[in-house]
Amino acid sequence: MAVVPHGWRDNMDKINVEIIDHSDRTVDFVVRGLTPAMANGIRRAMLIDVPTLSIDTLRMVENTSVLFDEMIGHRLSLVPLTTPPGEFEPTDVVTLTLDVQGPATVYSGDIISSEKLVQPADKRIPIVDLKENQRLAFEADAIIGTGLTHAKFQGGVAIGYSYLQSVTVNGNLKKGDSKTPLIVHGAVEDSGKIIPTSDFGHNLSNKYPNKKIEINDVPNTFVFHVETDGSMSSNELIASSVQSLCDRASDLREGVSI
Amino acid sequence: MIIPVRCFTCGKVISEHWGDYVSRSNTKEGDEDPSDVLDSLGINRYCCRRMFVSHIDLIDVVSPYQ
Repeated sequence: MAVVPHGWRDNMDKINVEIIDHSDRTVDFVVRGLTPAMANGIRRAMLIDVPTLSIDTLRMVENTSVLFDEMIGHRLSLVPLTTPPGEFEPTDVVTLTLDVQGPATVYSGDIISSEKLVQPADKRIPIVDLKENQRLAFEADAIIGTGLTHAKFQGGVAIGYSYLQSVTVNGNLKKGDSKTPLIVHGAVEDSGKIIPTSDFGHNLSNKYPNKKIEINDVPNTFVFHVETDGSMSSNELIASSVQSLCDRASDLREGVSI
Repeated sequence: MIIPVRCFTCGKVISEHWGDYVSRSNTKEGDEDPSDVLDSLGINRYCCRRMFVSHIDLIDVVSPYQ
């Protein structure tokens, strides 16, 4: 059982999550009962603390394409590899191979993995275009790493949050009042009900035409947008990031205890 | 040279959509609006969209000069 960080314990029963939009790789949700520090802690953990596999070493057998070995290595390192959380140790190495003879386009789907669990998350990423008599063949090692060392290990993509905004209608617009569109993102709250902004084209003027609107931040309530590169599902990314925060907290507790 | 694997700014994998983007928006007749193509491919942020709009594929020009 994970050790709950100090200060979270009093809040645990008040934390409440409401999912707005959910697919395999993205999720938008509203969390109540978080402090800004906790929200940012989770965001940062998702970006830099969740380990994923990525190609790190390349043994080039033959490269007669027009790209340099280094460029191909760089492109390969950015291909997301599926990394089921908890299946790998930090020292694990997965070997991948590829051998393509031109004319052909080399796709990430041509990579053959030695480990069934580890596959390129997207199969149609072009690595290089090969013409007649060009060949690309290599053996590569993928290692476990975190976004702290290199962005290629980052499982999360464009993760962010903002305060939930509550909308109050204050009568009708008068002549001469500004009619500037009120653009909002994620979700808004109207008399305690959460409404996804995609329902009204992200423009509050569409939902409340000719109304005077007041927008206020709801304290300790955040709208998160989480997206992954495919190395794991959005659920797994969030769970692993919270777990890593808990582990860090218990490490700290042990480290400072007398 | 060749479409970058990921968006420079946010890190979303975008290169897998390059083929679709070119074949749908670059044809002489019946081309779709590139903006609609990007919408339907799920490229929503403007950091990712500029990767497509500003890219010139030069690999076919360079390839004879190995």
